Amino acid sequence: MGSRTEFSAQTLSVLAALCEQPSQWQHGYALARQTGLKSGTLYPILIRLADRGLVEACWQDEPAPGRPRRHLYRLTAAGLASATGALAAVAQPAVAQPAGRPGARLRGGRGVAAPVVP
Amino acid sequence: MSWLSRAAARLVPAERRDWAEAVWAEADQVPAGLARLAWRAGGVRLMAREAMLARRATRTLVFAAAAAWVAGTAWPGSAGNPATALSRLDVVTMLPVLAGLPLLARWLVGPAAPGPLARVLRAGAYVAVLVLIVARASVDQVADNPAAVPHLNPDASVPALDGMIYAWLAQSVFLLIVAVYVAAILVLTARRPRVAPATLAVGTGAGLVLGAVMYAVAPLGLTSYATTPWLSGAALAPVLLLAWVLLFGAPAAAGSVAARCYRGPGDPRQLAKARLRQGGAAGFLATGIGALVVTVLGTGTIALMPRAGWALRWLYPGQHLLAAVTYNRELTASVRAGGYDLILLFFPVIGLLIGLAASTSAGQPGPPPDGDGLPGPESAPDPPDSGQLAA
Repeated sequence: MGSRTEFSAQTLSVLAALCEQPSQWQHGYALARQTGLKSGTLYPILIRLADRGLVEACWQDEPAPGRPRRHLYRLTAAGLASATGALAAVAQPAVAQPAGRPGARLRGGRGVAAPVVP
Repeated sequence: MSWLSRAAARLVPAERRDWAEAVWAEADQVPAGLARLAWRAGGVRLMAREAMLARRATRTLVFAAAAAWVAGTAWPGSAGNPATALSRLDVVTMLPVLAGLPLLARWLVGPAAPGPLARVLRAGAYVAVLVLIVARASVDQVADNPAAVPHLNPDASVPALDGMIYAWLAQSVFLLIVAVYVAAILVLTARRPRVAPATLAVGTGAGLVLGAVMYAVAPLGLTSYATTPWLSGAALAPVLLLAWVLLFGAPAAAGSVAARCYRGPGDPRQLAKARLRQGGAAGFLATGIGALVVTVLGTGTIALMPRAGWALRWLYPGQHLLAAVTYNRELTASVRAGGYDLILLFFPVIGLLIGLAASTSAGQPGPPPDGDGLPGPESAPDPPDSGQLAA
């Protein structure tokens, strides 16, 4: 776990978004805005991460009046460790590579632009 | 969440339903308009993907259960009976082949074509082949039983070595034929060969009719004369004639109809080639499915004879057979069951050739139709992820 090729670029972008405030629950739309992913891509990634025990999910306790309850997500301890390792592994070669090619060694077409590792 | 989205979420396996509902609930937070529509479209995609994955898992489990049943039923047998080893060969070779062929077909010719007919055909072929392996094992136990040899040939005592070699060769050819059948149906129902749903429907319908009539003529194995205990004398002749007519007429009609119904590319040369393909596929299906139906039903009937009293009463209504007569009929039918291999081997070839020839009778392609006629399938690209999740 934690090798550079373990996660796709899109998955890394989700992990990076969740890493920004690892203790906070986040909802799907916020993650979609942060990562630029569409719902049809974002949720399968979240499902996969949850299946692997890297992300935990729960329903909002007190929804806003007139709004449905929202599904919330955050990294588990294992997820945080895994994400930190993976993002650090991606960040290091990105420095050594020519500018303008962040995440070029990742699988998938979308690179991760300088993920913030807490 | 609306009733529609709740209903759609029911398609998703229970352990994934939360996720489907989550996408839908979150849609209320997305600005109204195109963005929300796109969000909901993503939810539909997610549900479709999860439902599809669940179907795949279900198919795998069902196949594993069916394979276990086949292995458990076909494996046992007397050590002194050469049929036991042959049946075990069937199990050891065919089950891995049946498990692996869909993966190979998916890689070579893409996933199953859209629409229910392709999946039904695939499932039907698998059920037929699994039942055939079990029925064949049972029939061979009777036909190859050394104790039965004196009944068949009073001059013989034990199976000769050349007889054994012949039996192994025949079994190998049988396994090869069955594997080719499964492979052919997987290819014809795959996305990339672009066999039209109408072609599948016409070919399958003609095949079922041919198989039913052939079974009425030869339910107890194949010989140079009809083996039906139900028909005799004047009643037999029309059914026999119908079987002959259908053997050549069913693929001809199916090939011609499939080619005529096909509305494909506008280029006349491409259309002619596509129609030839449709005609050949329909002809192959007509006789191939007919052969598979009569073989499975016939072998299954013969396998039931020694086990089910009702089968004997159904075959010989109103007759009280002595034990010796019953045994003799079981034995004779079991030996004749090998004749079905000839049907399996030659029928599809006949159908393919006749179907190809009949498709040329569809004539030169004319101007594009005014909307009538059945459209051919579009060459939809394979899904890039093939159901794989993105992570």
